Amino acid sequence: MKLKSNKNMFALIMDKLGSWSLLILIGVVMAFANSKFLTSSNILNVLRQIAVVTIGAVGVSFVILGGGFDLSTGMIATFAGCNSAALIVNHGWPILPAMLFAIAIGVVIGSINGVLITHMKIAPFICTLGMQYVVNGLILVTTKSVPITGLPEAYLYLGRGFIFDVFPVPVAIMLLFVLVGHILLKYTIFGRSIIAIGENEVAAKLSGLNVNLVKVAMYAFCGFCVSCAGIVLAARLSSGQPTSGADLSLQAIAAVYIGGTFQGSVVNTMAGALVWGFMNNALNLMNVNAYWQKVALGIIIIIAVLFDAFRAKLAMQKKS
Amino acid sequence: MENILKLTQINKSFPGVKALSDVNLTVKKGEVHALVGENGAGKSTLMKIISGAYKKDSGTVWFDGKEIENTTPKQSEMMGISIIYQELNLIERISVAENVFIGRYPMKHGMVQWKKMYQDAQKLFDEYELKMDAHSLVRSLTMAQKQMVEIIKAVSINAKIIIMDEPTSSLSGKETESLFRIIRKLKSRGVAVVFITHRLDEIFEICDHMTVLRDGHYVGERDIKDITKDEMITMMIGRELTQQYPERTNPIGEVTLAVKNITDGSSRVKNVSFEVHKGEVLGFYGLVGAGRTETMRMIFGVDPLAGGEIFINGEKHVIRSPRDAIHFGMGFVTENRRDEGLFLRSSVRVNTVMVALRKILKKGFINYRIEADVAKKYVDMLHTATPSIDQKTMFLSGGNQQKVVLSKWLFSDSDIIIFDEPTRGIDVGARREIYEIINALVADGKTVVMISSDMEEIMGVSDRILVMYEGTIAGEIQKEDFSQDLITKYAVGERSVRV
Ligand SMILES: Nc1ncnc2c1ncn2[C@@H]1O[C@H](COP(=O)(O)OP(=O)(O)OP(=O)(O)O)[C@@H](O)[C@H]1O
Ligand SMILES: [Mg+2]
Repeated sequence: MKLKSNKNMFALIMDKLGSWSLLILIGVVMAFANSKFLTSSNILNVLRQIAVVTIGAVGVSFVILGGGFDLSTGMIATFAGCNSAALIVNHGWPILPAMLFAIAIGVVIGSINGVLITHMKIAPFICTLGMQYVVNGLILVTTKSVPITGLPEAYLYLGRGFIFDVFPVPVAIMLLFVLVGHILLKYTIFGRSIIAIGENEVAAKLSGLNVNLVKVAMYAFCGFCVSCAGIVLAARLSSGQPTSGADLSLQAIAAVYIGGTFQGSVVNTMAGALVWGFMNNALNLMNVNAYWQKVALGIIIIIAVLFDAFRAKLAMQKKS
Repeated sequence: MENILKLTQINKSFPGVKALSDVNLTVKKGEVHALVGENGAGKSTLMKIISGAYKKDSGTVWFDGKEIENTTPKQSEMMGISIIYQELNLIERISVAENVFIGRYPMKHGMVQWKKMYQDAQKLFDEYELKMDAHSLVRSLTMAQKQMVEIIKAVSINAKIIIMDEPTSSLSGKETESLFRIIRKLKSRGVAVVFITHRLDEIFEICDHMTVLRDGHYVGERDIKDITKDEMITMMIGRELTQQYPERTNPIGEVTLAVKNITDGSSRVKNVSFEVHKGEVLGFYGLVGAGRTETMRMIFGVDPLAGGEIFINGEKHVIRSPRDAIHFGMGFVTENRRDEGLFLRSSVRVNTVMVALRKILKKGFINYRIEADVAKKYVDMLHTATPSIDQKTMFLSGGNQQKVVLSKWLFSDSDIIIFDEPTRGIDVGARREIYEIINALVADGKTVVMISSDMEEIMGVSDRILVMYEGTIAGEIQKEDFSQDLITKYAVGERSVRV
């Protein structure tokens, strides 16, 4: 009996904390292992490193929780970074219109993904894989594969600036996206619909939800988030780099899955990104060879997903 | 006769719920044993303990003279315990025969003998006089046919005891007859059957003995020949139920929904026309496959119309999606709650508000307080047995899941509500509550269309009955002319009139 109630406690804690418990674990271990780990400069540094991925992952969370998938996000992000840079540097546009236009292009690409997937019934994986190549090609055509440098200070501020000289601007932007994403997902009809569709599309349709529109909107929203991420990335790199965002798609997906999709939320996705970021950092601090770091990070993804499946199983184990 | 199965002092808890407390059950060889009780009484839980799907907290299980402890479903199957779960467990993408023999395909030299498998499966269907092609894919079958496949699968194991958890809930009269034929055959071979149902008449027809559970407790057992239906109900719900179908006196008003010549383009729905009035309950009877659900799905915009017109309050409307239908004031309580009604991973509260999300908004944002109040209101109103409104619906008993589906449509406040088998899997007490809700709806000036395969229910609840046969409306019967005989004649196509 004793054992059983312990197990239930454990299940409850897992259910509530999810991947935050992984984060706590890393924090506790590293606090003992390395004195540099728990310093504010180190923490802010990690937050700065994960900001771009997290901003994009907010959008990717919506898509994955809604039962979809998006592989094209890295390219959409890169495209937005390059487009905004090109408009400013090569065409003399003011900063804000240039950014808005670049983001709008990202939203359009996301919507095209959405329409192809919902109305033409193409599998999301393949559709966005195709889109990834299309956008990659467009980037190479428009930039001729040359980085666009010479961005104005105000632009760079988004990626390199500090608020009151201490708090990194990209981290502030990340927190804003997480907050807005969280509110959208938990407190609006749009968010509710996404969760419902991800869970049971047939029932969602029969309950009168506008399934097709919501699905297109969720890909469009994803396009929006990753385009913003791409601009912050360009600002951090001080240039529109045609090859900069290649890894972003998979990192964002990893963040969502590490955060957990069983009872997914935007806040959990942030936890996922944090786990990734701090793990990276911990390996660096411990001077682990860069090649082995990759191995370790890959293992983390797999462990995290196993962990999520385990949570799901704990929550459902009373089911036959 | 000797006992095949004996359970004593079984206890089982789930987080927040004590599902079984000191329950006893004794089943004799060759006996058809009814297990009855309200929704959430613990029937399915007890059966899953026997099959090994759940582990008991305490108590003993004797089977075939031996005490058995912590078996897995596979082990208990090998010992001769076969179970048909309340919810269908077939794999949709493979054939009927593969489903029947899943996990025990006939093998030779490490290869599956497909031909033998199809032949064996077909032999089984033929033996039990069921019309079924062993090659057909499960996903092309109706709910009733799927249920029959589950039954054949359970029978094919050559078990000593077969547990049937509400096998008839999605069957109509004719298929139920086939099932009873199968049960009689099993019985004559000395196989024991545990039979769970909420349709009490079936118990009198097929069972020998019964055990009653209430709130997870053992209430008592009786021989069927020594008990009346009223006594049975009193044992189940702990009080008397005077009248199963409450009276209704509200006036019937003008036409609210009119359907003219709708057709689905194939032969499932052919030129169906009918009208329903404000304040009226229109019953749809028919055998499974007569096209009732298909008709309603078209009206509700789930499936496209190939022809015909739909008028709501005298105005012609084109309904392209359930969303349109809801917009025009319709609601549709679907038959298949697990696939079409519920979000199983979501809580009772989330499910309750799903159709009418707008109603829980405050300043444009979802308000969790309102949501909780709404969910609580419907849990209280329908007496849904759940530890809290935050419980995931997958953990509710079948009947209580159905109540959650009902709540969601009641909360959406539709004017025209289509109920497709609304009392499927619902206990007698709760049925009466649903009939009262239907009465309250029509008294409130709403329109109700109800599909039911339960003859007694359709006659008890409807003001008028339409009987469908092979995609057409075979007959219309006014309240004063209701008779089982007449309805059956229309339903089997022996008689028909153009309406
Ligand atoms: N896996 C589970 N987790 C938590 N609670 C459960 C689980 N399974 C069943 N319960 C609870 O145990 C109680 C008994 O459920 P059970 O399914 O045995 O009822 P039942 O008698 O079969 O009802 P019905 O007639 O509605 O099918 C219910 O209160 C139900 O909510
Ligand atoms: Mg049950």
